[in-house]
Amino acid sequence: MLANEKIAIAAHLHVLLRRKTGRVTDTEWMVSNREYALEIVRFAREKATQDGHADLGIMANRLADIMALTAPAQAAPAPRAAQAKAAPEPGFNLFTASRSFGDSESAQAPRYVAGLR
Amino acid sequence: MYHCKQSIALAFSLWLTVMAPVHAQTSPAAPAALTQASQPVPDTAPPPSVPLAATPVSSASSGTPAVVLAPQVVVPTPPAVVPTPPAVVPTPPVVVLTQPGLVRADSLNGADTAWMLMATALVLLMTLPGIALFYGGMVRRKSVLNVMASVLATCAIVSLLWFAVGYSIAFTPGSSALGPYVGGTGRLWFAGLDYIKDAQQVAVSHIAPNIPESVYAMFQLTFAIITAALVVGAFVERMRFSATLIFMSLWTLLVYAPIAHWVWEPSGWLARLGTLDFAGGSVVHINAGMAGLVCAYALGPRRGYGREAFSPFNLGLTMAGTGLLWVGWFGFNAGSAVAADGRAGLAMTVTHIAAAAGALSWMVAEWVTRGRPSLLGLCSGVVAGLVAITPAAGYVQPSAAVVFGMVAGVACYWGATGLKRLLRADDSLDVFGVHGVGGIVGSLLTGVFASKSLAGVDGSVLTQLIGAGAVMLYSLLMTALVLWITSLCVSLRVSEADEIEGLDITQHAERLGT
Repeated sequence: MLANEKIAIAAHLHVLLRRKTGRVTDTEWMVSNREYALEIVRFAREKATQDGHADLGIMANRLADIMALTAPAQAAPAPRAAQAKAAPEPGFNLFTASRSFGDSESAQAPRYVAGLR
Repeated sequence: MYHCKQSIALAFSLWLTVMAPVHAQTSPAAPAALTQASQPVPDTAPPPSVPLAATPVSSASSGTPAVVLAPQVVVPTPPAVVPTPPAVVPTPPVVVLTQPGLVRADSLNGADTAWMLMATALVLLMTLPGIALFYGGMVRRKSVLNVMASVLATCAIVSLLWFAVGYSIAFTPGSSALGPYVGGTGRLWFAGLDYIKDAQQVAVSHIAPNIPESVYAMFQLTFAIITAALVVGAFVERMRFSATLIFMSLWTLLVYAPIAHWVWEPSGWLARLGTLDFAGGSVVHINAGMAGLVCAYALGPRRGYGREAFSPFNLGLTMAGTGLLWVGWFGFNAGSAVAADGRAGLAMTVTHIAAAAGALSWMVAEWVTRGRPSLLGLCSGVVAGLVAITPAAGYVQPSAAVVFGMVAGVACYWGATGLKRLLRADDSLDVFGVHGVGGIVGSLLTGVFASKSLAGVDGSVLTQLIGAGAVMLYSLLMTALVLWITSLCVSLRVSEADEIEGLDITQHAERLGT
């Protein structure tokens, strides 16, 4: 497999992770360090399961394939604490309120991307 | 006979004792007359204490009859030959200043002067180190020193330009044709800001005849400094330092000073129109916000904007800056009363209330939409409330200040998030979102809430809209022109390599320690 293809998939996963979870990763290190790639794949699959991001899981599997990583196809169920944390905030519906401010995008955007506040 | 003479003498001395203070209170001195006639907006403080002194005698609530003093007046009425004081104390002619001039030193008000000296220091504290810390904490670590250097250098360069040109063209009446738009040249290089000890004369501004003109000029200087320093927040982390200096110099003279003249000099066209701007909602905040937006568009976004997380260096510094801004704003708003009087006290009160309401309002808006109340949000809400109450500080009641703060908190939160994304400009530290939007909100609400009993006139939303719109349009066009002129001298942006490296090391050869 060409190194460029590895980098392309890693970069795609990098973008998805940043957009969906706010986690910033190192693309070059991902294709050169097996342990790091393994951890990123595990994290991506966990988030895909928890938050229902199918594309994140697909890209994690592609990276795992291309890097010949031996990782389980299905991520282990998330710990109870993590599930509780992922539960929506009580009270106002965030998305409805966000739309009323014209800010639905920023409500889900990673912190400090395209704005401080 | 002896007792009769003694009684007459006693009666006369008692009469003098009773009447002397009354005469002292009712004899207006020349400076007082001049002051009251020269104030652009008459204060509505309660009348002098003469009626109050008489209250206990005639008060029905005390249950004491009006003749309560009668038993004490055991002496007969003074004879007719006793010289009675003239019924009308001759009043010196009232002098209304229409331009700066010399007056007797003893005509100044010591309390007003002391307060304005204090207020001037407070407003300077808002910039140094208030704005420097507030902005410095929000940029990335590699450009913190550049932001602080930009604020400090702006302070220095604006100070010299204000001394040389700015004050004169802003706060003196202009020639007849240009008078409504720009001031005269009589105070260039602070000419005429005299204090003549031997003759006991001192120069005063026609806008503030109770304090030395030197103090008034310094007070207004601190406003010019902070307005320019606010604009820095829009172009951080990418503007060349030399370009910043040139831009700030031209901007202060071509944009800030004329707008200050329009709004605050009595011959200015917006002042004549009746636009209310107590402490700079349009002159300072709308102006700075609009200029910041133009800068953000002209310079373009930072490298990686919208794709990378630009983590702030230290929000603790931003919190410290916010505290200094909040305290300094008392000088900003209460100082704009140009007197240590009831209006100044009211301005201080509404300033504090609006800041608190703004902080909570922003916090709730952020909590609802993002699920977390951030420290930066609280700090921003404080500033939003302070900005909004600025044009109204001396004109509205404390209850209205709550509305100002609450509306501004939500509006500025939207300005710094939703509106920012609509505008698609890298207004890096949200100068327009907070100061521009907050200034517009405050100016319009001033038209709603300004009370005639406080402001001297009823507020008009239409007039306020015209004032805010004129300032926005002028600031937009002239800031673009100033940036273009600056770009002819030096490149506005640093190179891409320098931006990646950070402006601290590439512009100043310095790096922040650990």
